[in-house]
Amino acid sequence: MSATATIKLVLPMRKMQPESRAFVYGMIGVPLLLFAALIGCYGRASGDALAWLAARSGMLLTGTPSSGLAGGFCANIVMSLAAMCVSLCTGMLLCIGTIANTRMVRLIASGILNLLRNTPWLIALYAMLYLLPFYVAVFGTVIPFSPFVKAVVGLSLPVTANVAEAMRGGIEAIPSGQWESARALGYRKNQILRYIVLPQAIPLLMPNMMTVYAGLFIGTSLAVVTGTSDVLSVANTITASDGSRYATAAQLYVLLLFFLFSFPIATLSRRLERQMREKS
Amino acid sequence: MNVIRQQAPLIELIDVHKAFDGTEVLKGVSMQVRKGETACIIGPSGSGKSTLLRCLNGLIPVDSGAIRVGSFAVEQLKRDRDLVPLRHQVSMVFQQYNLFPHRTVLENIMMAPLQVLRQPRDEVRKRALDLLARVRLTGKESAYPAQLSGGQQQRVAIARALAMQPAIILFDEVTAALDPEMVSEVLAVIRDLSRDGMTCVLVTHEMRFAEEVADVVFFTDRGTIVESGAPADIFHAPCDERLRSFLGKVLAPTAA
Repeated sequence: MSATATIKLVLPMRKMQPESRAFVYGMIGVPLLLFAALIGCYGRASGDALAWLAARSGMLLTGTPSSGLAGGFCANIVMSLAAMCVSLCTGMLLCIGTIANTRMVRLIASGILNLLRNTPWLIALYAMLYLLPFYVAVFGTVIPFSPFVKAVVGLSLPVTANVAEAMRGGIEAIPSGQWESARALGYRKNQILRYIVLPQAIPLLMPNMMTVYAGLFIGTSLAVVTGTSDVLSVANTITASDGSRYATAAQLYVLLLFFLFSFPIATLSRRLERQMREKS
Repeated sequence: MNVIRQQAPLIELIDVHKAFDGTEVLKGVSMQVRKGETACIIGPSGSGKSTLLRCLNGLIPVDSGAIRVGSFAVEQLKRDRDLVPLRHQVSMVFQQYNLFPHRTVLENIMMAPLQVLRQPRDEVRKRALDLLARVRLTGKESAYPAQLSGGQQQRVAIARALAMQPAIILFDEVTAALDPEMVSEVLAVIRDLSRDGMTCVLVTHEMRFAEEVADVVFFTDRGTIVESGAPADIFHAPCDERLRSFLGKVLAPTAA
């Protein structure tokens, strides 16, 4: 490849935003790096490893050879979305608890916050495995706690604390004058939060919330301990059945999947953050 | 027949004390403002002027003493819910405007009457448009606060305070953050209000304006009201030594 061709490739990138450039480099560089690692491991057998990966790719993505989205990498995505929805609700409640008027409520909420924030994710997941029953009966209706539900609950616990912290940061970023003038107009505390502070805080806390989500998504790989059919347990199963020869290839492929999903989120959050800095 | 009622003060403070973390900011303040009067509070910074103002609408709870505003015993109102009727009666305008940046000018004015007082939208909207005309900002209804100059924002803040249909408005150094050329447009609005008989309490550094609009002037220093009286007496025949030295300092630059 000639030097001029390289310059032609690089020149348009100069005009791009810093994150977009990092994004392009990352999206090309990291897969290349993983590919190089694969070649390094398998040498001449790389072609076979790739062929095996291509054949098993569907299993890793969806958990089943046929169509269906109940397992594999799709399960990780669904799990992370479910846990994020749960954490957004519980995190908001916890955050409101930490700024409540009643001293007792504040103490309890910050106690829970600190407990959850300092719980290792893996321990939260194991705890769900042993603490949650297999099912609960509510008014005669049996609700089963599948490994998937246990994983979602277990992941939601530490993330609740992260969400609450991110929200508190956003709320505290709103100047005290907003509170004061709202109070002078007769607004009560929960009305101030609802009508004045939260609408201004939500755009501010978006980047942090996306970082929390990216962390949560990566954390779904730990859900393998609950016995749910996430991408890692599928990878383990197929390497066990096909022989451990391609275990490294499978792990590299899983790594690539995680990267391809969370890197754009991280890039977007960095970009939002910069835009906000420029605006203010 | 209304003589007695008119003479009863609308605002009355009796021996009000307030300390922040052990530092006494108000050391026994007593004052009275009658209905329709414009009262100016002047004094060096850190003398407790802003704290005094915030005690009147319950933004700052006091340690001891009595505060009567209309029929309210402000020092006895503790809960947010009990304070709502008082805030309906007493509006406030701040030094930093404190408009809500995520809402348009018209929404800023209409929000509290709709969401706090639960008044009908049509009525509130009509009043808001009238108020915008009164502060000479017709045409800016759908602008956002960040698109306005400081003087314009402060006039919106005054319209927002008036939208609550208060009996009293408190002004906390409302021109202190403004560029000099915008001060007069804000003062003009306050002057109109004062002439229309609104009860106003101003904390201000604009001595000439205070002299012009005030019915009564209070001079505070180190947490007490050192001297009070008609503006002519306060500005031209001050008795207290501290007031004389304060006036000497603040009036000297404009005289030069």
